[in-house]
Amino acid sequence: MAGIIIENVSKSFGETVVLSDFSSEFKDREFVTLLGPSGCGKTTMLRMIAGFEKPTAGIIRIGNRTVNAPDTFIPPEKRDIGMVFQSYAVWPHMTVFENVAYPLRIKRQDKQTVRQKVEQVLDTVHLSQYAQRIPSQLSGGQQQRVALARALVAEPQLLLLDEPLSNLDAKLRDSMRFEIKEIQKKLGITVVFVTHDQIEAMTMSDRVIVINRGVIQQMGTPSEIYRHPVNQFVADFVGKINFFDATIEEGLLTITGTGQQLDYHGPHTGNVVIGIRPENVRFASRQSDLRGKLASQFYLGDVNDCRIDIGGILMRVIAEPSTYAKYQEGDEVFLRVEDFSVFDDVGFDDHRRILT
Amino acid sequence: MRSTPTPTLNIDRRTFDPKWLIIGLIVVFLVIFQVLPLFYLVIKAFFPNGHLSLSAFKRVYTYPMNWSALKYTVITATATMFLGILFAFPLAWLIGRTNLIGSKFFRTLFVTTYMVPPFVGAMAWMRLLNPSVGTLNILIMKLFNLSKAPFDIYTMGGLVWVLTGFYFPYAFITISRAMEKMDPSLEEASRISGATPLQTLAKVTMPMMLPSIVAAGLLVFVTAGSCYGIPSIIGVPGQIHTVTTRIIDFVYIGSQEGLTDATTLAVFLMLIANIVLYVSTFPLAKKQFITVSGKSTRPNMVDLGRWRIPISLIVSIFALIVVIIPFFTVASTSFTVNLGKPLTEAGNLTLRYWERIFTRKAIISSARNSLLSASAAATFGMIITCMMAYLLVRTKAKGRKIPDFLITVGSGTPSVVIALALIMTMSGKFVINIYNTLTIMIIAYMIKYMLMGMRTVVSALTQISPSLEEAAQISGAGWFRSLRDVTLRLIAPSVVAGWFLIFMPCFYELTMSTLLYSNNTKTLGYELYTYQTYHSQQTASALATAILVMVILVNWLLHKLTKGKFSV
Ligand SMILES: Nc1ncnc2c1ncn2[C@@H]1O[C@H](COP(=O)(O)OP(=O)(O)O)[C@@H](O)[C@H]1O
Ligand SMILES: [Mg+2]
Repeated sequence: MAGIIIENVSKSFGETVVLSDFSSEFKDREFVTLLGPSGCGKTTMLRMIAGFEKPTAGIIRIGNRTVNAPDTFIPPEKRDIGMVFQSYAVWPHMTVFENVAYPLRIKRQDKQTVRQKVEQVLDTVHLSQYAQRIPSQLSGGQQQRVALARALVAEPQLLLLDEPLSNLDAKLRDSMRFEIKEIQKKLGITVVFVTHDQIEAMTMSDRVIVINRGVIQQMGTPSEIYRHPVNQFVADFVGKINFFDATIEEGLLTITGTGQQLDYHGPHTGNVVIGIRPENVRFASRQSDLRGKLASQFYLGDVNDCRIDIGGILMRVIAEPSTYAKYQEGDEVFLRVEDFSVFDDVGFDDHRRILT
Repeated sequence: MRSTPTPTLNIDRRTFDPKWLIIGLIVVFLVIFQVLPLFYLVIKAFFPNGHLSLSAFKRVYTYPMNWSALKYTVITATATMFLGILFAFPLAWLIGRTNLIGSKFFRTLFVTTYMVPPFVGAMAWMRLLNPSVGTLNILIMKLFNLSKAPFDIYTMGGLVWVLTGFYFPYAFITISRAMEKMDPSLEEASRISGATPLQTLAKVTMPMMLPSIVAAGLLVFVTAGSCYGIPSIIGVPGQIHTVTTRIIDFVYIGSQEGLTDATTLAVFLMLIANIVLYVSTFPLAKKQFITVSGKSTRPNMVDLGRWRIPISLIVSIFALIVVIIPFFTVASTSFTVNLGKPLTEAGNLTLRYWERIFTRKAIISSARNSLLSASAAATFGMIITCMMAYLLVRTKAKGRKIPDFLITVGSGTPSVVIALALIMTMSGKFVINIYNTLTIMIIAYMIKYMLMGMRTVVSALTQISPSLEEAAQISGAGWFRSLRDVTLRLIAPSVVAGWFLIFMPCFYELTMSTLLYSNNTKTLGYELYTYQTYHSQQTASALATAILVMVILVNWLLHKLTKGKFSV
């Protein structure tokens, strides 16, 4: 059992508040991702779970043990956690085998067991033939797998990963994403994964926690976060989106400055902001939701990335590749909007300032 | 195919590159004043009368007093090395890695000690642990009702103690720097693997630091072994002669035979220093695990828990005994009329020694000499090092590493050896005669201390993007112009820091000055030493205290100037 309960955790360094009132519960065997722009406090949260930082306030429980509370503190070495650091932190003075064997040797397991377990885990991460190498003879991807093997070898119930893929090249990143997910399923462990990359978050997680400026913005499954972002920050940070000012009156939404209208049957009224994801807009052959003029288009092979002038403002639309040949810049186009979100107009464009 | 005339290209190819001129001039300077003299020294030791003869070696090394000097040198240097590391490593770890109380203060304190002239420690401990009148001895005798003084400073143990107190900061600084460079997540990875802080220290931190610890130890070994000030004050009265004190004795004899004997001993010292230099620049440097941390700059705080207060207390006591009490002793000596009585006794407090150091003609003239030669050494040294650092970091000019190598060797050579080599070659025997002038002093200082400036400038330059200069060149500025308008402006604080790093040790230099001075070119270090040994300890103490205050001020200034990057 290695669920995590975080209750009202806050953390400040001196005057700077890094995390405020963070509460969440991670279930056993869940893959939870902390997602947010750099500097938002993800690493700090992870380090508090690991025991390298102490919360300024709040309680953290791992399994059925309270590890952080005002009067309790369990040091990292007693928490039974595996962790992969962003810089890998593979020890340069030990061989791959010694690196991976370290947690077992600290636990004073007998030689036979150590050898067997290390070989097994090295096999899992496809490093068996490198056991006797020293880390400086390995590539970045291989070092990262050494770090992963070392984190897994003692069979922890909880694995913490701090941007483990950010230093890898694109190809390797794709395959490691898949492998980490496989290993998690196979071993049935709880994983807390930190990243600022929304694709990693979307593809790997059971649940995503979006953080901005130390405050939880939204928690949910990847599709909930993507399809129903609760605010402009989340909508903007996860995926691509067009924002337009609009007003709602009697079931009709008018995009400000364009005169174009969409049907709307929801709770919002008055001045709002609508968000339309570029891939939720389709080209239509006759009059549909919106109308505009094709301002520019870029053929990317798998999609056609267009900008459409809908009456003084541009909207980005990601259309099927076949549309590229059909239309030309300047053509009149009809658009069908399959989905959009409505947010209260908070009066400032906060979401834009936070973007990394 | 039409061939386009390219006259400019042809001219460019033939234009003499000013970089080579500069490298050439610096190399010529170093060859004349460093390489050739040192070579001559070695040759002279083996060919004392023009043909190969080991008779000088036989004579020197069979003479019992020399043998014992060799033995004492090796023993004290080795003991100092071990004791120094024994102090420096735990301190570096406690200060760099744990929640020790007042770690910033301790850091500054130990780093400042590095800039203090070593003989100040000897003066202090002589007062504290003199077997008959040492203040600390008397205090302990009173406290524990002893009939005999518990310590005698004029022994091997005393010598090692004083050497350690003033050379362990060398190891502390070396080890601390290496520890700062180590990625703290390497240690965190060990903690999360289940290791306690102490296990982590033993299995990760220590092994990773080992090359730096060895390098630090070797540095302490060489500096302690080639120190003259401390053994001449502490060792000689107790009949403990070291190689350095013997060499200077031989030179003072003045005869040709004396000079030959000095040379022969100096070769031994040089050999050891060069081996150590070689080992710590090549095999060791290669083994150093460079794991500069990426983003993670958080200090990896080890919580000392319930040991926090006791350990902080022990460190405080250590600092008190090794740094603060000695400094305080020297300062209080400078105000004491009768050294046999406590300062607090009526009429025993005086400012007369302070007045003396600011009024006595001999002292003022020596201070002027020191100021002049130290400033000159620092200024010429910085001109050379700035150019060298630039060529080293910014260009691929052939041979740019030669002066760097020579400067490193020069600074690794014991002071006595440098001075001796200069005496033997620069006194008119070979065209140049600068013996008895300040020039010879300035050159000796430059050879010994230029490296300090070099390191500072090189590390500052490495941090400035070359594109800044390139932008100036694209705008039409020549090499010198862009150097002056862009690079020099940006590295100015480091240049000032480097200047002081050369200036300070030259200002109070003792060893080389002792060999190179003449009646008109006495220096402050020499003046201080003669007052201490022959005339008046109080006057010497006043001088030492004044230097101490100056060191602290300069250090503070450097700290401000470079925003904490260079304070040593
Ligand atoms: N030890 C520390 N002292 C002071 N500020 C810190 C410390 N650690 C982190 N911070 C600050 O806390 C904020 C969040 O940092 P971090 O958790 O590393 O962000 P993330 O991992 O999301 O990029 C940053 O603004 C950082 O500067
Ligand atoms: Mg981070």
